[in-house]
Amino acid sequence: MRILRRIAVLLALSWLAACAATFDPDERLSFEAPTRAEVPDVPLIKQEDFFCGPSSIAMVMQWAGSDITQQDVAALAFSPGAGGTYLADMIGSSRRLGQLAVEITNFDQLLAEIAGGRPVIVFQNLGLAALPYWHYGVVTGYDFEKDEIYLNSGQLDKMVMPFAVFERTWRRGDFWGLVVLPPDQLPVTASEADVLSAAAALERVAQYQAAETLYETGAAKWPESWLWQFGLGNARYAQGDLRGARQALRRARRLDPSIPEVRANLAFVEGEIAG
Amino acid sequence: MNFQDIGKKGMVLALSAQLVLIPPSIAMAQAEMLGTDAVIGKYTALANRDALMEEMQRADVQAEIEALGIDPAEAEARLAALSDAEIATMLTQMEDDNAGAGIVSTLFSVFVILLVTDLLCFTRFFNFTRCVR
Repeated sequence: MRILRRIAVLLALSWLAACAATFDPDERLSFEAPTRAEVPDVPLIKQEDFFCGPSSIAMVMQWAGSDITQQDVAALAFSPGAGGTYLADMIGSSRRLGQLAVEITNFDQLLAEIAGGRPVIVFQNLGLAALPYWHYGVVTGYDFEKDEIYLNSGQLDKMVMPFAVFERTWRRGDFWGLVVLPPDQLPVTASEADVLSAAAALERVAQYQAAETLYETGAAKWPESWLWQFGLGNARYAQGDLRGARQALRRARRLDPSIPEVRANLAFVEGEIAG
Repeated sequence: MNFQDIGKKGMVLALSAQLVLIPPSIAMAQAEMLGTDAVIGKYTALANRDALMEEMQRADVQAEIEALGIDPAEAEARLAALSDAEIATMLTQMEDDNAGAGIVSTLFSVFVILLVTDLLCFTRFFNFTRCVR
């Protein structure tokens, strides 16, 4: 069995190498990415057994200033029975820790986030389709000229991968990536709807303070949209801040006086203030 | 007059009094705050649908559709029949194909026309449109 496994791994590696063609950014990307980019100061954390998911989240959160450990994250994310961490738990645990978590799905988004100074967690299959070795790592930089992508991958050394090899491993993970940020920062590529849903999800896990911050951050970027003020009103109400909620809901009403839900919640809050 | 009649009359009185006395802003009585999640879902879907329909109404898009031999009214009906989820999928696919570049309005027209031709089985561009010939 061990020999079979070794042969399979060798085959996998040679297949990876055989298919290595250089990554042509002009052909592959639909935006003008800089030739190289690096997100500085993402800490390298050596993962404990099977903790590649939790250690990845710990790395991006520590980069953003938190002192969380991989064990802290694992308590919210790791599934001992599966010997790993599910994609949904990567998102869910980030949110339960008060972070903005938004998925990405392609190279354009990945490289735009890196160029914009945000590290990205990626889901890879480092084995074969038939003999998968699932893994999470954090992409921290790339260099088109050197044909290299840099990852913090659960080891104490930075991992360097040629683009073609990285693409193959990431493709087998369905190009799944996750941007995890504190709620006062936004991903470069996420749409308004994506960020709104992520903010509402923070409310759902009772991270009202984080949700409030994220609604304020979104309102600064999309000032014409009443939805941010609506969410802000709800997040403040949930924290018992009735006057703050009223202020936000009034702003929402000013932005669009025609929305019945805004008027209903405003009336509800005003009713409570009136006692 | 029996008790039932009095009851009915009383109810009618109470209801009409409510209509007169309570300002419309709080006529929408509720036991709790309406949640952000549902509202975001509803209005995002509405905005998506509006954007699609508005694009369909543009003269150049209408002309293009007619030039393809498609009845614009039928195209509109097919678009209207899409679910919120399908529209969201289509817009996501569109954004993915143009990530970073931003959606230019001419491109959006092209996508809407492609969606129409997809729905009528002339093309196979969007993943969710299934055509059995």
